[in-house]
Amino acid sequence: MDLDPVISGFGVVFEPQNLLYCLLGVTLGMLIGVLPGLGPAATIAILLPITYDIEPASAIIMLAGIFYGAQYGGTITSVLLRLPGEASTAVTVIDGHRLARQGKAGPALGIAAISSFIGGTASIVLLTLVAPVVAEFALKFGPPEYTVLALTGIFMVATLGSGTLVKSVAAAAAGLLLATVGLDPLLGTPRFTFGSDQLADGIDFVIVAMGLFGVGEILYNLEHRHRAQGGVLPFGRAVPGRPEWIASRWAILRGSVVGFVLGVLPGGGATMSSLVAYAVEKRSAKDPSRFGKGAIEGVAGPESANNAAATSSFIPLLTLGLPANATMAILYGALLLQGIAPGPALINDHPDVFWGVVNSMYLGNVLLLLLSIPLIGLFVRVLRVRPGILAPLTVLVTMIGVYSLRNNAFDMFLVIGLGLLGYGMKKLGFEPGPFVLAFVLGKLLESSFRRSMRVFDGDVLGFFQRPLSASLFAAFLVIVVAVPALRVVRDRQAARTPDETPVV
Amino acid sequence: MTADLDGRDPDGLPADEPRQGGPALAVAAGAVPALIGLAALWPAVGLGLGSLTEPGPGLWPAFVAVLLVAAGAVIVRGALTARGTADTEAFTRGTAAVALGAASLAAYTFLFELVGFEIPTVLLLAGWLRFLGGEKWITTAVVAVLATVAAHLLFITALGVPLPHLIGS
Repeated sequence: MDLDPVISGFGVVFEPQNLLYCLLGVTLGMLIGVLPGLGPAATIAILLPITYDIEPASAIIMLAGIFYGAQYGGTITSVLLRLPGEASTAVTVIDGHRLARQGKAGPALGIAAISSFIGGTASIVLLTLVAPVVAEFALKFGPPEYTVLALTGIFMVATLGSGTLVKSVAAAAAGLLLATVGLDPLLGTPRFTFGSDQLADGIDFVIVAMGLFGVGEILYNLEHRHRAQGGVLPFGRAVPGRPEWIASRWAILRGSVVGFVLGVLPGGGATMSSLVAYAVEKRSAKDPSRFGKGAIEGVAGPESANNAAATSSFIPLLTLGLPANATMAILYGALLLQGIAPGPALINDHPDVFWGVVNSMYLGNVLLLLLSIPLIGLFVRVLRVRPGILAPLTVLVTMIGVYSLRNNAFDMFLVIGLGLLGYGMKKLGFEPGPFVLAFVLGKLLESSFRRSMRVFDGDVLGFFQRPLSASLFAAFLVIVVAVPALRVVRDRQAARTPDETPVV
Repeated sequence: MTADLDGRDPDGLPADEPRQGGPALAVAAGAVPALIGLAALWPAVGLGLGSLTEPGPGLWPAFVAVLLVAAGAVIVRGALTARGTADTEAFTRGTAAVALGAASLAAYTFLFELVGFEIPTVLLLAGWLRFLGGEKWITTAVVAVLATVAAHLLFITALGVPLPHLIGS
């Protein structure tokens, strides 16, 4: 493996403005992680237009920092308030909050921060080794392979998402349908444009993300205010002692592996891997009955897993151009906004962006460790910001941000409509994740499917006669079989987890 | 939603938590996507389906629309057999706040092109703070004005977004 680009990536990271953007990103991530209601997907979506004028590497470094920073922040409220700031830290509530009630909040938070750090860092190292190999291999992919990959991605997001299966399928189908608005990708015939020039280019993904996640989330929170905060448990210093450390070291290792593997899978991601890691810890413990009563491994495993997963979910985006979860879909939009097409060519065409972003995660994790151990009290204070003040400010930034994309008020109406759609979907039990992902992958899926059919002369069996697409298809079939098993593990675990604030 | 471990709400507020929706809502959750699918199916067929070798522009949208109709039908069937009704949320009085919020955003969009960015922004923020957020008048006034100034400095002065505006060049 050629190490030069990896090393020059560190040069990108240590440029002063990138250091600053990294710090800004992870601090913002911590903040919104602590605040229940506004998730990383919504925050990144809202900030997209502002990143338009920033250098590509800096912009993605900052946005990525928000994503993995939120995993650290979400833990704090899980432990101290029994109120997970993020869905991926919901499982930490079980033992983390119990430990806090036993007066061990400090050690629990310390272990959580260190587990997150180790999980995240281990995952970056693995990403550095794996990603170039995958990208190299993916350069051989043609339309048939991308058809299978896009299909796999949509299938997995629909089946592994947290909603019921059929509703996720419906949401994905609706996303695919919305993606057909605009000109036919091969023939140029206008479709579903209602004669409007504004819709002829299709709907920009950034607008869909900002509408569904940004405005939709804000509208939804208008209806159900998060209840006023009860007392925060005292936590002292967030430093684990020797016994906690010894008890959790293997859990951290197992969690990192679980997180890395599940994070790569579309629809797996941080939430899924934290649930599976908890199940793994409980199963491998000598005395499983300690779990739920304040077992430190129940904090260490999931926390290392959700961070490892947050990091490894960058692999499919950066090497194949396929986002593995909703947040990655928004980063996909961010890359496109910068004029960079995510895909196997990214690592060679834009090594500064690729390695700059990957290596910035080392720095980001160090910063987060520093932020979360001594400054934890500061972040807890953020909980005093009232949603009544936060909501109008976020909505204003969103609306002006949308306008700034194309200096176009039509987009603002579009974003309001999509926001109402997002609100309605939430009320009726549809996950926005499959919708947004299907929207992103829809254009790719349609055009590569149709190109393949031309290559194959209309013979669907062609997919099985081409060695590459056939083997990918075989992998797809394995996944179809494996997914129900993963669902069972997850649902069993989720049934015992408090269902507070499921955040996207 | 879970209550506190001791089974009481920590702050003793009345439940402002989402309630589960009724059977009608569960049916609607399937009927809406099915209807959207149907509504998209006719124009899609009208665009021309073509063949598998030479697909017309309508083939893919038609396929997706059929998938949407099918999924909607399965949801409706699940709702009628009283399975899968647990994942909807009832619309509450708070829904009016959502409608009001969305309407105010539409009005904002309409107004700011006509009269510039400043006045609609103050009005939008004040409305959200006072009526949707339940803040005091004094907080409302201070936050609305300060945030408008900050947004002006950020978007117009610093980022150079060509928003229609009254103050500054």
